[in-house]
Amino acid sequence: MRFRKKITGTLAVILAFGFFAGGAANADDDARERSKTRKSPSFLKTPESALYKEECSSCHFLYQPWLLPSRSWQVIMDGSQKHFGENLALDAQTAEELLAYLKANSSEKTRARWAEKITASSEGLTPKRIMDVPWIKKEHREVGANVFKRPSIGSASNCAACHTKGAEGNFEEDFVKVPR
Amino acid sequence: MKALKGLAALSAVLLAGSAYAASPNASMSSVLDGLKKEAGVGAFSAEEGRKLYNAKRAHSQKKEERSCTTCHTANPAGPGRTTAGKVIEPISPAASPERFTDPKKVEKWFKRNCEWVLERECTAKEKGDFITYMMSLK
Repeated sequence: MRFRKKITGTLAVILAFGFFAGGAANADDDARERSKTRKSPSFLKTPESALYKEECSSCHFLYQPWLLPSRSWQVIMDGSQKHFGENLALDAQTAEELLAYLKANSSEKTRARWAEKITASSEGLTPKRIMDVPWIKKEHREVGANVFKRPSIGSASNCAACHTKGAEGNFEEDFVKVPR
Repeated sequence: MKALKGLAALSAVLLAGSAYAASPNASMSSVLDGLKKEAGVGAFSAEEGRKLYNAKRAHSQKKEERSCTTCHTANPAGPGRTTAGKVIEPISPAASPERFTDPKKVEKWFKRNCEWVLERECTAKEKGDFITYMMSLK
């Protein structure tokens, strides 16, 4: 009886673990992840910044700073007068504070599996957009260009169109719902 | 004299309010006064503002047509959408009461968006006409 209880308990643990790890790309990846970063969660919700929200989310999804490495944020903020063809008209102090926040919470500074994957897959590169991060691009390989162009989505910049919990930094596949 | 001025301003606010259109708050009123001086005009034109809002212009490099309505749509009272796909609040202060209440924000967005549509900053006359048009919406 006691033995049986123990087995059920172990089974429950295994099942629970399998459930949590289930979202990742393939079994190989999973095994590697488990041995290396067993304790880190797949994502973290970055502490909010009222300034970041005000200045950046008026136009676009409020990208979690851990979606890019520090050097990418540096380049993006250096180019704030030509931000995807738009002058952000930021004053010097605002720009400085934004960059400090972005760098302090960049992929290298975030102890979570997805952030670590982003850091690793960007090695030797300075992605200027999140979709240029090789791992993130790979994760979207099954999404056709025409899907991103759907009126309900608009472009690949619009994370929240499909990632229903994207605002919390949760890009788990279970919460993806691609609109028609 | 001061009291008389205050009374005039108050009645103007009340009159405008009775027509359901928004009216500029104190700080926006002084912005408009400043723009009038800068533009050298006695009054702004809501009609000119409406034309500016709807004017379509070909961008010199992007090879695309741009206007205020690209994001804000032809209906200022309805929600808009940025080129990055984000849905934004209606620009009309009749629909979004917080619009055109903060001079700093207004100035920043004129700078950003005039450059995006017109590839230059807007003139004082254009800004005044635009605000006047927005304030006239019901």
